[in-house]
Amino acid sequence: MQEIKRRYVIPGDKIIEGNYKPLMNVVKSGNYLISTRVGIAEAGKDGVKVIPLSGVYIPRVNDLVIGKVIDRSSLSWDVDINACFLAHLPAQDVFGRDFSPAKDDMGRQLGIGDLIIARIVSFDRTRDPMLTVQDKDLGKIPYGEFIKISPTRVPRLIGKRGSMIQTIEQATQTRVIIGQNGIVVVTGRDPEGLSLAAKAIRLVEEESHTTNLTQRVKTLLNVQDPEDQEQSEAVEASSSSASGGGIQEPEPPQASAESTPQTTSSQPQPEPPQASAESTPQTTSSQPQPEPPQASAESTPQTTSSQPQPEPPQASAESSQTTSNSVKTSSSTKEKHKIENSEKSSNSNSNDDQKEKKQE
Amino acid sequence: MSSSKRSTIIVEQLRKQQMLEALSRGKRLDGRDYDLYRNLEIEVGIIDKASGSAKVKLGNTEVIAGVKVETGEPFEGLENKGALIMSAEVLPTASPHVEPGPPDEDAIELSRVVDRGIRESEMLDLDKLALIPGKTVYTVFVDCSIINSDGNLLDATSYAVVAALLTSKFPVYEIQEDKVVNTGKTMPPPITTIPISITAVKIGESVLIDPTTEEEACMDARITMTTQSDGSIVAVQKGFTGPFSINQIVEFSEIARIKGEEIRSKIKELNSG
Amino acid sequence: MYSLKELTLLDENGIRSDGRGINDLRSIKITVGVVKNADGSAFIEFGKNKIIVAVYGPREVHPKHMALPDRCVLRCRYHMSPFSTDTRKNPAPSRREVEISKVMRESLEPSLILSDYPRAVIDVFVEVLQADGGSRCAGINAASVALADAGINMRDLVSACAAGRIADNIVLDVNDLEDKEGDADMPVAYMPNLEQVTLLQLDGKLTTTQFNECLNKAITGCKAVYEIQKDALMKKYFGNEMELKEEA
Repeated sequence: MQEIKRRYVIPGDKIIEGNYKPLMNVVKSGNYLISTRVGIAEAGKDGVKVIPLSGVYIPRVNDLVIGKVIDRSSLSWDVDINACFLAHLPAQDVFGRDFSPAKDDMGRQLGIGDLIIARIVSFDRTRDPMLTVQDKDLGKIPYGEFIKISPTRVPRLIGKRGSMIQTIEQATQTRVIIGQNGIVVVTGRDPEGLSLAAKAIRLVEEESHTTNLTQRVKTLLNVQDPEDQEQSEAVEASSSSASGGGIQEPEPPQASAESTPQTTSSQPQPEPPQASAESTPQTTSSQPQPEPPQASAESTPQTTSSQPQPEPPQASAESSQTTSNSVKTSSSTKEKHKIENSEKSSNSNSNDDQKEKKQE
Repeated sequence: MSSSKRSTIIVEQLRKQQMLEALSRGKRLDGRDYDLYRNLEIEVGIIDKASGSAKVKLGNTEVIAGVKVETGEPFEGLENKGALIMSAEVLPTASPHVEPGPPDEDAIELSRVVDRGIRESEMLDLDKLALIPGKTVYTVFVDCSIINSDGNLLDATSYAVVAALLTSKFPVYEIQEDKVVNTGKTMPPPITTIPISITAVKIGESVLIDPTTEEEACMDARITMTTQSDGSIVAVQKGFTGPFSINQIVEFSEIARIKGEEIRSKIKELNSG
Repeated sequence: MYSLKELTLLDENGIRSDGRGINDLRSIKITVGVVKNADGSAFIEFGKNKIIVAVYGPREVHPKHMALPDRCVLRCRYHMSPFSTDTRKNPAPSRREVEISKVMRESLEPSLILSDYPRAVIDVFVEVLQADGGSRCAGINAASVALADAGINMRDLVSACAAGRIADNIVLDVNDLEDKEGDADMPVAYMPNLEQVTLLQLDGKLTTTQFNECLNKAITGCKAVYEIQKDALMKKYFGNEMELKEEA
């Protein structure tokens, strides 16, 4: 597959002739593979794919998304997840199995306009997406800067092993919650840090097709850049989970497991993103921390963490049950292994970037 | 039939909280002061086939107005005056919430309020646009297409109409042997004054001019006031469900006059350029 | 009268009323991403045609019963602003606009992989701000670019151009005057990579030989238009960088 040069394509462009396997956003036509999207064509692990640069969010099972409650029926909430379909959050998911519309007041948990971070538990060609907030760190997001970006830019914003978002969080003393659907919420104490983080996120969105982006983000954020830290540059996180093609049939278990590191965590690292934001001194090194620096964070509502956030008090009280401390999920050794693998596979890109940087 | 459905746009609760919090400090979410307009760009003469045209960008709101001048029968009761006909369509391109089809009540209110400012100020001297009194007069169509919508369609549309009319060149029709003939010549339109509308919304006790979609989705009430060149008020429309105090209205009328003059001088430059 | 017409439309040097030769396109400019709220959009200036296209979707279908279980619904609205024509056009949709909406939709549909988005809808809104003959072709060109901008899965772009006949001459890209006064007008839409025709209409008389020449000429025009569509998309997404820079 070496003969496939990474290049910009538009729909209909012939990428290569011959017997290759079409992956994401590539279809076979005669003896050619052609792109179905505007994006970057490249050789994947076992075929040819196009990393798209535009498109609405297509839900995928296990994705973490940030949604807006826009309506409710007697048994569930309707949630706008910035996708082609409304998602539903069953009241039972929040109240438990013995939920009763007569007894329980749904309005006490979630109101119209509330933002939630949730996981998609089911979705296929015949059913609307179903959400859950029953997991650590899921639930209502009570405050923060709301930013909407193109869902296709999400993998780039996260970066390899969460490198990009980690850079932004550390430099701006903020915490960034990223939904795969392109909704981003930034929280932090310092208004300047917030606005700088927002600027950096916008920069990533606008220039995500370019090389050397991490460098430019660091320049914007005024981050010193030790040579050895720069490992993560690539035009795209390699196992991109951004809207690849259309609505898929349910995937075999292996396939979905493979995508887990991407789709379930903005930072597939042992430490929660929030920790990196709130305890900068410990995380300035690029080494993954084996231990969450803020062990107490997991059981403590966010608002009582050592560095109080500037949210209105009533919101915090409301949210303490449902709000997450971070968008972290456990990263098993197995997953970590996969991440490393995927990084290896894209090492050539990083090297390219390194070279380009030196030339500058 | 009119029903009081809420806006289809739901602002994120945390954005709304931020908005209220910012307002308590005298600021808006986009950093503007209460009486500050968004960036206003006006481009005229963009449609060659129209007698006059203008594209207005007010922040992200974008409107095109086109003037067509034809001849026809006068309106009943106004036999010696030219006819002015206005329409506005919020195109389905404008936002995900617009359904294609005949104008809904908001679009009709929009074109009627804009129309009222032009008509009541007598911006166009319709007396000069009669050809055969009682039989044939100039018919001036002003049609507006809202291409992208981010709040305050009323003012953006109103400025597009005023700019298109002001910079238009009317065809000169003559009566030859009882027939209307287009001479192929053009004339400047008979303009007497420049009406400028100013719109504000009330959120809590704050009154904000030139609201965005997000602010409109959180508003309690809306008010539009149109002043003409000499500062007198020619049209008012109070909208939405909340009330204004008398004090707020009186204060707003002063803002409408001052801000109206600012915008008016900007629009006047179009003709000198 | 006939000789006068010939003289205006095509002079003895093969120059047309607007100064073009018989194989020349009018000037074409496409800008991508012009409507802030839309998922995809494009603005095309094609001669004096000025057309704005916005795409929304894939999104939920309203009313819900219109949804299809196995594929996406494509809706298309071609609409002319009242000020777009020589005499003011009534804003209510005319029969002509309804037909053009239909043939435009049918010309775009083969390029889209609609089975990727079951139960959803894609809306294509084509607004003609100024019409100058060939507005359906110009609209299709902008719509296809807007669909690519929206990130809809497509097999190819659709490029459209008309050819026609003035007396015995087959000319490319018929303008307003030639459409009204000429002898035949044939709009064609074409998928340049897949080499398939997706729109074909004819108004006027052509012999079989003329028909073949006209079709071939229109296809040549479509291919030229394609390059402009491609440049517009590349410019929006990759700036002036046409090649992905990478070190060996």
